[in-house]
Amino acid sequence: MLELRGVRHRYGKRLVLDLEQFAVPRGAVVAVVGHNGAGKSTLLRLLALLEAPTEGQVLLNGEAVPRRAPASLRRRVTLVEQRPMLFRGTVRQNLLYGLQLRGIAPAAVNGIIGDVVERLGLQPLLDRRRFELSDGEVQRVAVARALALRTDVLLLDEPASSADSAAAGALYRALAAERAARPVTVCVASHQLEDAYRWADDIRALVDGRLSPVTPENLFRVDLPPGDGVKSVRVGGIELVVMTERTGPAVLAVPPTDIFVSREPLASSARNVFKGRVRGMAIERRGAGVHVRAGGGVELVASVTAEAAKDLALAPGANVVFSFKATAVRVF
Amino acid sequence: MDFLAEAARRAWGLLIAGDSEVFGIALLTFKVAIVATAISCAVGLPLGYFLATRRFWGRRAALTMVNTALAFPTVVVGLLLYGILSRRGPLGGLGWLYTWQAIVAGDVLLALPIAAALSAAAVQGVDPRIRRTAETLGAGPWRAAWTVAREARFALAAVITAAFGQVVAEIGAAMILGGNIRGSTRTLTTAVALYTSQGDFGMALALGLVLVILALVVNIALQVLQGRGNA
Repeated sequence: MLELRGVRHRYGKRLVLDLEQFAVPRGAVVAVVGHNGAGKSTLLRLLALLEAPTEGQVLLNGEAVPRRAPASLRRRVTLVEQRPMLFRGTVRQNLLYGLQLRGIAPAAVNGIIGDVVERLGLQPLLDRRRFELSDGEVQRVAVARALALRTDVLLLDEPASSADSAAAGALYRALAAERAARPVTVCVASHQLEDAYRWADDIRALVDGRLSPVTPENLFRVDLPPGDGVKSVRVGGIELVVMTERTGPAVLAVPPTDIFVSREPLASSARNVFKGRVRGMAIERRGAGVHVRAGGGVELVASVTAEAAKDLALAPGANVVFSFKATAVRVF
Repeated sequence: MDFLAEAARRAWGLLIAGDSEVFGIALLTFKVAIVATAISCAVGLPLGYFLATRRFWGRRAALTMVNTALAFPTVVVGLLLYGILSRRGPLGGLGWLYTWQAIVAGDVLLALPIAAALSAAAVQGVDPRIRRTAETLGAGPWRAAWTVAREARFALAAVITAAFGQVVAEIGAAMILGGNIRGSTRTLTTAVALYTSQGDFGMALALGLVLVILALVVNIALQVLQGRGNA
């Protein structure tokens, strides 16, 4: 659907993005995770066809997009920025903006607006102006304004960063309903792994403008057995111990920062202890990512500081032990 | 003080009586100012938007040139244009010298840098997310520019006011290019200078008052336009 090829993007002399290849397949939800300043927002602006990369190409459905993308192409993609802006005027006028640009008939416009307003609970806000809204409300209105356009691709930059838990829930439900109603391609940028785990079919990590080989992808789709409390679930050749009351299909996530790496088994409260061999290391500015293939062929990724990696003499082929508590395993 | 009071009384009398010469001069000044402001803003505002939003080679030099042109002495602009419009000049065939059109041409040259430089600053003051948001919602370049202009409307109204102020108060170019011909190219500023030099302080003061009233009316009109609707 949307693809970046050989993209290098600079602001002045500073290289902010360096991606050999980055594709968002049709109908997929891709999450891009990374710290502030990792290049997530720049990546989304390139995907939204708002900026042309300094070098390289953006492709939409396999066709190269001109450096100055015409409005007809831009109308197939829309971006909700991390701190979205509303135009002067009421919430209703903001929702109308993109629809009027597309020449949608007034009768249809009312139906579309009614639909997104209901989904995001915006009815009481419709006649308010931007200075009468909280940051979270502005974010919801911006998402509604984007959803109303029914574009092929929806790009969301930290869509729930200003929302409280109820508003974030409404936001996620609205987006899930949109995906259920029509095939929409979504790319979400987030610095919160939980958002990514909750959302995405595919998670990519961006570090200093580059795709990190250490993707925080300790994700396992499992079928949780009935019962409360501590459960054991089989993942590949290993047994994961998890604390949850949920049953049935779920996604388990183990944040790489919650995994202890040692050369020998530790006497600890960790219920999950796996021996394995280091398959790869990626040294980054903020530390090192350690790929381990544990027994049974399951791959796990842990983050350690550069000093810890040095102290443990971690290197490809080294035998290590990964430990983490049952409560460290997130269930989605 | 008596002399000032006497002048004020005469000015008031001329205005109340609807003196045809005063009103003829005011009307011509208003016509020249409106036409020159309209032309300079029609060209200067889009130019300012372009300079503020596009990145191109030589942009910084172009901005420096426009900013430098803000300080052009009016008599120098008048002289240059005199050379161009005089019978032996490249545009002498137009026959504009000593007509109101020549004054408009001079005023446009003086107000254009104001419109371009100040509107560039006004647009640069608008959060860049406004244009990005307009574009990501599907706006083409013109609609995006209009959306940005709506956000900067107070600053852009001030730009138009400043351009009008330059045009209506300018004397050097109007004197050189118009020639201060009675009933033809005499504007409020050239007339004030003339009557003051002739010692008719009452007439000069009356014309000065009209000039102030004219500026006031235009400012109020622009403020009314700005005030329509809030954020």
